[in-house]
Amino acid sequence: MEHHDHETQSPDKKTSIKSTKKFWRSPQERENDPEWQKLVEREFQASPFFEGDVKESWNRRDFMKLMGASLALGSTACIRRPVQTIIPYVNRPVEVTPGIANYYASTWSEGTEGFGLLVKTREGRPIKLEGNPDHPVNAGALSARAQAQVLNLYDPERLDGPRKYNPEDPNPFRHEQHPSWAQADQEILPKLKEGGVALLTNSISSPSTKAVIGDFATVTGATHYVWDPIGYDDVASAQKAAYGTAVVPRYVLDRAKIIVSIDADFLGSFLSPTEFNRQYAAVRKPGKDMAKIVTFESVYTLTGANSDARVRIKPSQQLDVVMGLVHQISVLSGKGGGAPAYANAAQKLNIEPGLFNEIAKDLWENRGRGVVIAGGLTTRTEQGEAVHAAVNFLNSLLGNDGVSVDHGTAAFKFINGSHANLATLIEKMQAGQVKTLIIHGVNPVYQAAGGSGFEEALKKVALVLYTGDRADETGKFAKFILPDHHHLENWGDSEIQENVFSIQQPTIRPLYNTRAFQDTLLVWTAGYKGKGEKPLTWFNYLKDNWKKNRFHGAGGFDHAWVQLLKLGVLDLSSQAREKVSTPRNFSGAALKVPSPRASEGLELVLFESVLQGDGRSANNSWLQEMPDPVTKVSWGNPLLVSPGLAKKMELTNGSIVQVTVNKQSVKTPIFIQPGLHDEVVALAVGYGRTAAGEVGNGVGLNGFELASFNKGKPVFSGIQVQIENTGQFETVASMQEHTNIEGRQIVVEASLADYLKKPDAGIEKTEVFSIWNDHKYTGYRWGMAIDLNSCTGCSACIVACQAENNIPVVGKRYVIQGREMHWLRVDRYYSGDVNSPRGTFQPLPCQHCENAPCETVCPVAATNHSSEGLNDMVYNRCVGTRYCSNNCPYKVRRFNWFNYANKIPEPKNLQLNPDVTVRTRGVMEKCTFCIQRITTAKNDAKDRGDEVKDGEIKTACQQTCPTNAIMFGNINDAKSEVRQWQGDPRAFALLEELNVRPSVRYLTKVKNAKVEGTEGGHV
Amino acid sequence: MIGRAPLVLGRKTFADITNDICAPVEGGTKRGWLSLFALTLVWAGIFFSVVGAIVCIGTGLMGISHPVGWGTMIVTFVFWIGIGHAGTLISAILFLFRQKWRTGIARAAEAMTIFAVMTAGIFPALHTGRPWLDLWLFPYPNQRGPLWINFRSPLLWDVFAVSTYFTISLVFWYIGMVPDLATLRDRAKDKVSKTIYGMLSLGWRGNNRAWSHYESTYLILAGLSTPLVLSVHSIVSFDFAVSLLPGWHTTIFPPYFVAGAIFSGFAMVVTLLTLVRTAYPQFQDYITLDHLEVMNKIIMTTGLMVGYAYASEFFIAWYSGNGYERYTFINRAFGPMSWSYWIMVSCNVLIPQLFWIKSVRRGIIPMFIISIFVNIGMWFERFVITVTSLHRDFLPGSWGMFHFTWADLGLIFGSFGMFLMLFMLFIRFLPAVSIAEIKPVMNVGKEGGGHHA
Repeated sequence: MEHHDHETQSPDKKTSIKSTKKFWRSPQERENDPEWQKLVEREFQASPFFEGDVKESWNRRDFMKLMGASLALGSTACIRRPVQTIIPYVNRPVEVTPGIANYYASTWSEGTEGFGLLVKTREGRPIKLEGNPDHPVNAGALSARAQAQVLNLYDPERLDGPRKYNPEDPNPFRHEQHPSWAQADQEILPKLKEGGVALLTNSISSPSTKAVIGDFATVTGATHYVWDPIGYDDVASAQKAAYGTAVVPRYVLDRAKIIVSIDADFLGSFLSPTEFNRQYAAVRKPGKDMAKIVTFESVYTLTGANSDARVRIKPSQQLDVVMGLVHQISVLSGKGGGAPAYANAAQKLNIEPGLFNEIAKDLWENRGRGVVIAGGLTTRTEQGEAVHAAVNFLNSLLGNDGVSVDHGTAAFKFINGSHANLATLIEKMQAGQVKTLIIHGVNPVYQAAGGSGFEEALKKVALVLYTGDRADETGKFAKFILPDHHHLENWGDSEIQENVFSIQQPTIRPLYNTRAFQDTLLVWTAGYKGKGEKPLTWFNYLKDNWKKNRFHGAGGFDHAWVQLLKLGVLDLSSQAREKVSTPRNFSGAALKVPSPRASEGLELVLFESVLQGDGRSANNSWLQEMPDPVTKVSWGNPLLVSPGLAKKMELTNGSIVQVTVNKQSVKTPIFIQPGLHDEVVALAVGYGRTAAGEVGNGVGLNGFELASFNKGKPVFSGIQVQIENTGQFETVASMQEHTNIEGRQIVVEASLADYLKKPDAGIEKTEVFSIWNDHKYTGYRWGMAIDLNSCTGCSACIVACQAENNIPVVGKRYVIQGREMHWLRVDRYYSGDVNSPRGTFQPLPCQHCENAPCETVCPVAATNHSSEGLNDMVYNRCVGTRYCSNNCPYKVRRFNWFNYANKIPEPKNLQLNPDVTVRTRGVMEKCTFCIQRITTAKNDAKDRGDEVKDGEIKTACQQTCPTNAIMFGNINDAKSEVRQWQGDPRAFALLEELNVRPSVRYLTKVKNAKVEGTEGGHV
Repeated sequence: MIGRAPLVLGRKTFADITNDICAPVEGGTKRGWLSLFALTLVWAGIFFSVVGAIVCIGTGLMGISHPVGWGTMIVTFVFWIGIGHAGTLISAILFLFRQKWRTGIARAAEAMTIFAVMTAGIFPALHTGRPWLDLWLFPYPNQRGPLWINFRSPLLWDVFAVSTYFTISLVFWYIGMVPDLATLRDRAKDKVSKTIYGMLSLGWRGNNRAWSHYESTYLILAGLSTPLVLSVHSIVSFDFAVSLLPGWHTTIFPPYFVAGAIFSGFAMVVTLLTLVRTAYPQFQDYITLDHLEVMNKIIMTTGLMVGYAYASEFFIAWYSGNGYERYTFINRAFGPMSWSYWIMVSCNVLIPQLFWIKSVRRGIIPMFIISIFVNIGMWFERFVITVTSLHRDFLPGSWGMFHFTWADLGLIFGSFGMFLMLFMLFIRFLPAVSIAEIKPVMNVGKEGGGHHA
């Protein structure tokens, strides 16, 4: 647009401008210089570099065009962050709201432990398992192993469909084939028709599955062999010998005032630990009625750590213990002379006779209100049968049978596996009588005890079919692997205890082309019959079974079925559970006790570890990274050695020894474990796998191989062994090396006597004054209390926290450097007798201090105090100076040293909780009191229009705790339970003298024994 | 002493001084210098590669972990900052005290400070987990609140202290160098040198007004730098003292750290100047044995102060009755990391006692060796403070260990590469002794005395 000097008028810009003014601004204007005129006409000067005519210079339009074009072209090279679309449902399923979790009731059982589950699913995939509060066995809690199961669903090494192996095929590309299910069935059915079919499974708790197997066996003539790698056939057969029926009884510990355990780790791994933990907590409330627990054990277990009195023994001394007690009690009862051969058992065991007599007296005085338990791998000695017989005799003598040893109501009837069955099968296989072997739920090549001969016998079987989810140790020998669904993908049911039924429902469509084992059998059953009938699907079979057997009669089945799916449990034992059963008659013939033997030499004990069990979840990285609750060792099973033995042989943690059993030698590092007998070394089974997957291969030593199968009467304990120091060394990944409290008040113990005199016994209080003003909380104020008396150290809370909060796994190398990422740790401190110490366990979450030392020192204010009492961590703001971690006296903060999150392989990322940030490298993280759950509850309350109720928010650790040791809630609410706990005289704050004012209180542990000089206080 | 021994040896004239000092700059690139420089360049390259690896892969490459969250990066940071303090003390504090003997060494010492602070500054920036977000440590206006930094955090005080220290030292050093740069400009033969030195000398004409402004500016900057000697390392010590860890939370740290800083700084000055003297023998007339002897005496004095601090720490830990405090010190001396403690004590307290002997004080090789040991000891002092207090603190369940990795060693030794590379550049391109300051004192100590600067 031309600019016209408004003092000159010119309709045609080309004409010269006549200036009539008297004033001029330049001589050129005055003279009407033509050059000047040109200048005036043109508003924008051309570039001085531009030599050409004015007309050819850029005009504004061209300039704009060119600039616009350049910008557009330039930006085509810029790539936006790739857009990821979130596709909303076109037709949304009624119950799915993206962002809101759905919970489904289900069941899981591994071997012999069973749980009712609530599976939390988000957008169609399970991300967390919780216990079903309505299931009477676990009552809302889950063990560490159970919490970790959700990760198994997303194991990247699961097979995605059937496999067929032809190792003899000359063409190497045909060694492994991927047939379809139809093709596999087509090949297998004719083989089944040839007969000689055997089916090897573990004890099946699912009645409907048993029915399917029954049908299959009837039609095909197959024989069903039931075998549990870690089973309870010794308990069952002892029951049969003593009382006439083989049954694994239900031990009801909360009816007992005295519990004597002989190598039965009921708090850790024996039979039903989650249930026993709950019963333990119920009878251990401090008070006059507090139960007493005495343990005689050859391994240091959670049970021993939490006992009031613990005696370390050798496995060969178990019989001495029991018979010694039998003798004492017989004498006390006045019924006969007892077993005089065992009169000096206490001396032989090297314990004060006073203690032994006291235990016998306690048992006798509490007859009918006590229990003696023995069981687990540690009691499978050569004299195991005699030990169990004697224990049964004791219980009968004491009148405990039917009360705390409940055979009649809700016993573990489904457990019918035995090693004898496996021995029979192996014999048949050796004899060539088994043409087709179907293996389901067990991994016998790995789990059968050494010398069973299973592997050799397997080679004689023409067709081996395996339903495992990968080519593991047994899978390698299979012709066909027919992978079963994961339990979260499959229908099913379970009867863990008699008359306690629960349903298992799929919570995700099967990820891969797997097929339910039950469907496989149904297809084969129908195919075998050859009548062209279509088999029922497993789902329909299950439903029919329930309709027939549980919900008798037709009326209202559909409604009942839906209710069952919602509740998950049908407990027909409920009333009967509360009653005692009639005691049984003890058959005297059962008690054939050999005379006492000397226990000479070093003995090896193989035991079941709390985390790994029989090793089937060895590829689960959470379980491998978890510290063993007692030893705090992860990623391996070092040989456990007593401090005395270590000193004698000049061993330190990590020294490699050569272990010789039955002329077989293996090398393994050791770890020093206080509380072991000096002539006992212990090794956990479930490690040393060779074909579990990337995570589990090569971790630890295979303990099963060191046991001896002994033709179906395996010996896992009391095995003669020699060890030799090789002088070599391998670092053991231990998460807590220092076990001494160093005279500080960290955990507080008190004896029952002291507690009854003064409830805050043992606590040294410090007076602190503060120069700062308190924070004011007008609304909620979150706090927590942890009862050290209830906590048994089972560490389920740690796995629950890991599952809930997307905590990465770092691997053995970095665990050795101390870089494990667990937000919650459970510290274990020994106290008392140095040869057989007690253990106290202290879960340590972030203490959410009022005067948080971490908050003041963060330069970028990435950690702040919330208006509800929490210490918030702002991941986005954290630059990672780590000053907060340095200044935290509890050392609960965890730093992402590397980009751990990047290393999560698919599909494990499907397990991640969408409500919790996944942290990147360089960012600090710590326990948040499950703020995502707090926020969800607050939102729900807001929707309802009222306040969050007490107990509505459960942190992940609290929810899974079998003993309810953790209590979280609003301490501004005078009626909240956490406020009662914090106000309990037993409550103390950790490191109170630092004036950091934590929001967590611990309640002292009370021992029903003399506790010498609690080591708390002086700082 | 100053009055007796001459500050400049060899009966120099003004022209001699100018020629001597300008010779390394004007003489062209010598083979000796080039090979040494190439060595330091490679050395610095290793350093930057290690640093690059840590930034790209993760801080996990180093030996730090839970509970030891700070390791070699912070220790080396404090080490280098401490070294810098000696230069400022010589340049600024000794100037205010009118100590004429500082003139021979002030320029090189202040250069050492600059390079030490530059080297040190890398560490707080790169020890963070996400160094690309370090700009959040600065209070810049923003629209997220505005979201400010946490002024209560000692790390923030560090940011201000170190950046202030660097800025002031750089300005002080540069302004002080202007007349010398002008000298080089005037003597320059080729166009490139003339242009560069010309730009750097800011148009210095050497008239009396310029000198007058120069003197007053120098005085002001010296006055500004003086408190920094005490404050910067006190602030750095607050990183530790303000926390609650036993072994860190102690009021002795500010004077303890400052004394230690001067101690290690002088040792580094001695190391460097003995090397410079050997490489450029003409400098032996300006950096005389007397200068070095005085510095060694200062080393010994501050060494005794540091030794006293160790003893008093131990005493107070016992006297306090605080179990955590007592344990920390017992653990330092007798625990699994006691090797580092005893290195520290022998290098810092025992070895400098050799300086009581005159021949050791005046012997080039002995003082060089002792100064190296002092620096080793001082590095370990910061290591002992940082790592041993962290690895065993309140709850035994959280105790851990620290292990050196290749990245740690690369950082410690590599930092010397960066420092020496910069120092080599300094020697080659800038006058290593202050011409303008030494000329006024060149007759001091001769008969007839001299006038002051």
